[in-house]
Amino acid sequence: MEVVRIENLSKVYGSGRTAVTALCEANLVARSGELVAVIGPSGSGKTTLLTSMAGIVEPTSGRVTIGGITTYDDGWKVRDLARFRREHLGFIFQSHNLILFLTARENVLVALQTRGVKGARAVRVAQELLDYLGVGERQGHLPEALSGGEQQRVAISRALANSPQVILADEPTAALDTERGQSVMALFRRIAREKGSAVICVTHDSRMVEGFDHIYHVKDGVVSDGRADARSGEGSPTHD
Amino acid sequence: MNLAVRDIGRRPGRFALSCIGVGLLLTLVLSYSGIYHGFVYEALTLIDKAGADVWVVQRDTRGPFAEQSRLPEDIRYRMAIVPGVAAASPYVVYTIQRPWRDRSLRFVVVGYDLHLGLGGPHEVVAGRGIAQAHYEMVADAKLNLPLGTKLHLGLNDYTVVGLTRGVVGSSGDPVAFFSLADAQEIQFVKDNWAIRNLRERAKAAYTNALPTQPALSEVLAREFADNPDLHTVNTILVRLNPGSQPQAVAQAIGRWKYFTAYTTDEQSQLMLAGSVARARMQTLLFRIFLTIAATVIIAQIIYTMTLEKLKPIALLKLIGTPTRTIVGLVLQESLALGLIAYAVALVVGSLTYDKWPRLVLVQTADKLTLLAMVVGICVIASAMGIRRALAVEAGAALTG
Repeated sequence: MEVVRIENLSKVYGSGRTAVTALCEANLVARSGELVAVIGPSGSGKTTLLTSMAGIVEPTSGRVTIGGITTYDDGWKVRDLARFRREHLGFIFQSHNLILFLTARENVLVALQTRGVKGARAVRVAQELLDYLGVGERQGHLPEALSGGEQQRVAISRALANSPQVILADEPTAALDTERGQSVMALFRRIAREKGSAVICVTHDSRMVEGFDHIYHVKDGVVSDGRADARSGEGSPTHD
Repeated sequence: MNLAVRDIGRRPGRFALSCIGVGLLLTLVLSYSGIYHGFVYEALTLIDKAGADVWVVQRDTRGPFAEQSRLPEDIRYRMAIVPGVAAASPYVVYTIQRPWRDRSLRFVVVGYDLHLGLGGPHEVVAGRGIAQAHYEMVADAKLNLPLGTKLHLGLNDYTVVGLTRGVVGSSGDPVAFFSLADAQEIQFVKDNWAIRNLRERAKAAYTNALPTQPALSEVLAREFADNPDLHTVNTILVRLNPGSQPQAVAQAIGRWKYFTAYTTDEQSQLMLAGSVARARMQTLLFRIFLTIAATVIIAQIIYTMTLEKLKPIALLKLIGTPTRTIVGLVLQESLALGLIAYAVALVVGSLTYDKWPRLVLVQTADKLTLLAMVVGICVIASAMGIRRALAVEAGAALTG
């Protein structure tokens, strides 16, 4: 089932002579359970693509449809975007972004409570998620007491807390060594397979995306399907 | 799970220090309320405890506390026959400061008529009241003079036979009670040379006026020279018969040419409108400035705490946390800071007020007012932090 569709998405920062086109007519599709990689060098537009999908940056033109909902339709407000993210998206970042004053379990609980899961049920679900990611025994520790790999696993647990249709991962392995990075990517493959979420992973490291279902390349704001590039050289943006 | 509690728990020491700092500031705010009430209490203590209904003073003065008043002692007899008057009693009050052993004693001398007891010690908490006409005194415990202490004042020694507690003058100085004659003696004592000189001058005057009656001149000169000040008092305290109206009696006495009479309520108002009114303005201004300072400091602490949490707040926004949760995080920390500081202020105050040099009389209304102020301050102070928190873009969580 198609859960993400991006059509002709453009983002221009500034105006007039100072205008910078960060993203130009981008197209992307992801289905449930698929692993999608977006690869490109720094400044190529990867993060703009991701934040546009996340409802953080309002695109200049084009459409973003996730789970059948088109963001930035007429009348959308900040609270609509917050609810949209809460119900449909999970986030994983380069710097793990755990809340430092919360333990591993509480970091997951925050996301659960935001979704309205509270009390003993929330604690149980958090425990299950942490166990699922292999950090259950570290649930009572603050982030500063966890290794980089453990912090990333806790962050993934939190991203899974709202059973998202789409997980957006921004350079999730950048702060990890190769072995731990590949371990995280293996987790993504497992999550996509077992949870049915589409995982869209932005990275600059092409070695990390082995086994991904689709790979998009971004360069100077232009998004192209890597496999399509390889097959036909036409740079077709979609893979219907 | 409460995010504010978790955030505070991460750096409890720093939060505790902030609470103590703000708490000490609030202690000052509360203290100034107590100091003002202490001023009022001390200003009115002697008036309230004198047991008089009407105060007769020198014409057009605001005596005997707000302004000096001097009256002949024998006016008491004229006052005693005014309709409605049950008793009239002379009263002397003044402040002295005398060296005693290795310290300086500053206290209010009150002289009263032992027979009527008007204006005397209201309650003796240790020892007994004055039982003889001379050389005994009842002192307030604040003077730190144990029972039996002999205090040399003027030409004589006075023995402390009783103690009172909490009886002070309008300036906060403890009160010592004496018989009327002793109080006058202490105030107007003259040395022997001065008395002899006065007699000689009087004798010369009378001899000149009565050249044929030298014996009478001698007697008159001696009488005159016996220090006429000793028969001067500051006020006449009047107690009324049941059913008599103080206002009516005061008006009746006021029609006499040389006296002004005040009811006890009017006497109290004179005190409050004088030095206490200025003290009230002074403490009010202090309280306003301290409150503003407390608001600014709490706002700064809350704002700084919010700035340190911008990344987690951005993250919370990114994962779709409702705005009310983020507002609650900032507001709850602000309220926690304010309420803990308030508790610190109450505790520090209750442990230290009895050690302050002046009476600090904090009333329940003051505490409740401060509590309401603290809540208000915290809400106002957290507004800046909330505004900053809500301005954070969710995308800020993505930046390293």
